[in-house]
Amino acid sequence: MSDTTSTVEAPQPGRYSVPGPPPRPRSQLVGTGFAVAAGAMAVAGALGHYMARRHASGVDPGHDWLAGQSVPNPQLVYALITLLVSVVTAHWAVWASGRGERGHTWVGMALTLVMGLAFFNMVMFSLNRMEFEVGSGEWATLAYAVTGLSLAILIVGMFYLGLMTLRSLGGSVGRDRSTPLGAAVFFWDFAVLAWAATWYVVYVVK
Amino acid sequence: MTDATTEATYSGGSAGPVPAEDPTAFGWLNTADHKRIGRLFIACSLLFALAGAVADLLVRFDLASSDGHTVLNGDSFVQVFTFTRDSLVLGMLIPLFLGIAIYVVPLQVGAPNIAFGRAAALSFWGWLVSAGVLVGAYIANGGPAGGFSDGVDLHLLALAGLVISLLTGAICVAVTTLTMRAPGMYMDRTPPFAWSALVTASMLVVSLGVVLGQIVILYIEHRYGPRFLGGNYGIWSRIDWMYRTPQLFIYVVPVLGVVAEIMLAAARRWVFEPLALYFTMGLVGLFGFGAWANFGITNEGADIVDGLEGIVLVGLYAGALAGVAGLLALLGFTLWQSRNRPRPRSGAVSLTRPNTAVVAAFGAGTLIAVAALVGLIGAGVDWLQIAGRGTDGNAPLRFTTWVTGQQSLLIYGAGLLGGLAALHWWAPKIWGRRLSEPAGFASLLAIGGGALVAWLGPTLSGVFTEQPQFVYGAPLLTTRYASQVDDSGAEGLSALGAVGVVIVLVGAALVVLNLLVSVAMRKGAETEADPWDGLTPEWLLPSPPPLGAAAALPELTSGTPLLDAELNGNGLNGTGAAAERDADEVPA
Repeated sequence: MSDTTSTVEAPQPGRYSVPGPPPRPRSQLVGTGFAVAAGAMAVAGALGHYMARRHASGVDPGHDWLAGQSVPNPQLVYALITLLVSVVTAHWAVWASGRGERGHTWVGMALTLVMGLAFFNMVMFSLNRMEFEVGSGEWATLAYAVTGLSLAILIVGMFYLGLMTLRSLGGSVGRDRSTPLGAAVFFWDFAVLAWAATWYVVYVVK
Repeated sequence: MTDATTEATYSGGSAGPVPAEDPTAFGWLNTADHKRIGRLFIACSLLFALAGAVADLLVRFDLASSDGHTVLNGDSFVQVFTFTRDSLVLGMLIPLFLGIAIYVVPLQVGAPNIAFGRAAALSFWGWLVSAGVLVGAYIANGGPAGGFSDGVDLHLLALAGLVISLLTGAICVAVTTLTMRAPGMYMDRTPPFAWSALVTASMLVVSLGVVLGQIVILYIEHRYGPRFLGGNYGIWSRIDWMYRTPQLFIYVVPVLGVVAEIMLAAARRWVFEPLALYFTMGLVGLFGFGAWANFGITNEGADIVDGLEGIVLVGLYAGALAGVAGLLALLGFTLWQSRNRPRPRSGAVSLTRPNTAVVAAFGAGTLIAVAALVGLIGAGVDWLQIAGRGTDGNAPLRFTTWVTGQQSLLIYGAGLLGGLAALHWWAPKIWGRRLSEPAGFASLLAIGGGALVAWLGPTLSGVFTEQPQFVYGAPLLTTRYASQVDDSGAEGLSALGAVGVVIVLVGAALVVLNLLVSVAMRKGAETEADPWDGLTPEWLLPSPPPLGAAAALPELTSGTPLLDAELNGNGLNGTGAAAERDADEVPA
């Protein structure tokens, strides 16, 4: 071993030790931020591909492509509103967590998860009502792929929220430990935004 | 934070408690230790380097004949061609530096482990399983142009698995650098390699995310139809951009970090302006974003970007070149500043006593600069054609084997040579032993020389014979692709490229052999904590460091504590580069 190693091992002023919280405790939030960036680029790439194909689809882009296909707009709008409300309840949970109010935190998370399930129920109903079949045409295939990607991100978001809720039931909730819950809600915000973009591009602009 | 009375009990950020090292196979399977994960990534990625080089050799031999396919046939040519890129980039280039970063970055920034140790382990095992599935898919006649439909789907799933796994590992590295730095290790004190790993990880997140979206669409299109994207023949044109320049520049940013680490240690001096060091590496990463290149190949939305494509091409290469040239100039100036500084002891690394790491780093940095310059020239030529000036009906260079040349330069030249430099430099820290210097010099000569020959052949062929790099889309055109290798000279130039790959393959095999003999067979000399007189914090730790050792580092007041100790002569609480500048400014 060199002299430098013995320098490390010898006690001396300036050696730090942190028995409490780490100096920069936001690892989970930052990691979630990177995951959000990757997910955002995946959705953007898929939507970009969709729009490029739509642009090249004919004289009247969108209309020619969707001939004979009706989109149940009211149901999909209600689904989106449900998601937006779930964002409010999710942030209520984080706010309550920051104040150390466990009851409010759990109610907020439970409402968020229930509204997430309600959203999936409504979207599945809408897609069944549309009766479009994957593989039946270019639009159907692309819509299936892009919608599926967004729904997969929402499922990951619900799983993440559920996991953090379970952790909070185990006691990891409170003013000083709100970051994991905040990270999960941050991902949920992104998942909702990704769905909103997908809904607008695929089911409104078509 | 700096209470001297307490013991070093910091367990570290979200990494949480880490199990003690279990020497059994189960321990390796179950590990969340960044050192083991890093070693696993390094070892497996080197095996993929060999597999990819062998596949590349088959492709180039096939193109070295004017009698059509001689080694492969139409479809298998496409499969081996695409497997070459998959294995060299997703199997070797990215995971090799990811593995080195997972090992080294926590030690450099003073973190007890990689952030999300379990996720990092999942990243490795996910990558390995996906790579195995990828190879299986190709064996089952899958992959682009594959004849077995489920095999093609399996290939796409494996690609998605590879990308997700690599992204997970990249996120772990980035989060470690951003959130788990020891007190005193501010961002503007971050060691160059840790910074380069952060740049690459960030750019991988935003660029490979796009690939994921593409793969989802390709999978649905191929599995359920209608195959409006070309089915199994349309896959490659939509993901090829991640194996080309400028995207390749993102993957070699860690090489620039390695170059900076080694050159600064050789200079025994910190750069006069650290922000310039960080900025230049960031510039290369930023301008390497290559998702735009999809338009250039598929023509989807080409009318939207028409007229912009050429200037975007030139701008991206110019930005990358500015970054590389700026960094090399900065390092060169630092070396010049330290020309008269005496070496602290005989074992120290220096330019006057170059070892494998120094020469390989110098070579890798130079080759990246050459690749950026050549890329800029090629983009300029293509721009003139796109703009309708100077066109004579020639194929744009980006559709010729010019691209293969660039890939050779960056993957073999920069990537493999930079990897060799990093392995020789950090081998004492990773395995506690030095690698053999004679074998190292032999492998660097082979890899460097081979990469130049492998670059020269296809580049000249692209320029003078317009030999196409690949024929996208149409099933029958791959046979015509081989027939384009006629007596115009492409045949001989392809053979020249093949010779280059043979030499690279010998060099890569030597690297693996060196590791086997020096590390696995324990023939390498055991080493002390700091055999090179390095500058950065990892050299304060034992070689190899025990788990969590980095958390017991003294308080860092710069990214170069060993240099501070040398300058102050009495410990580790100097003021780093500032002290050095002050010392220089005081008249003797």
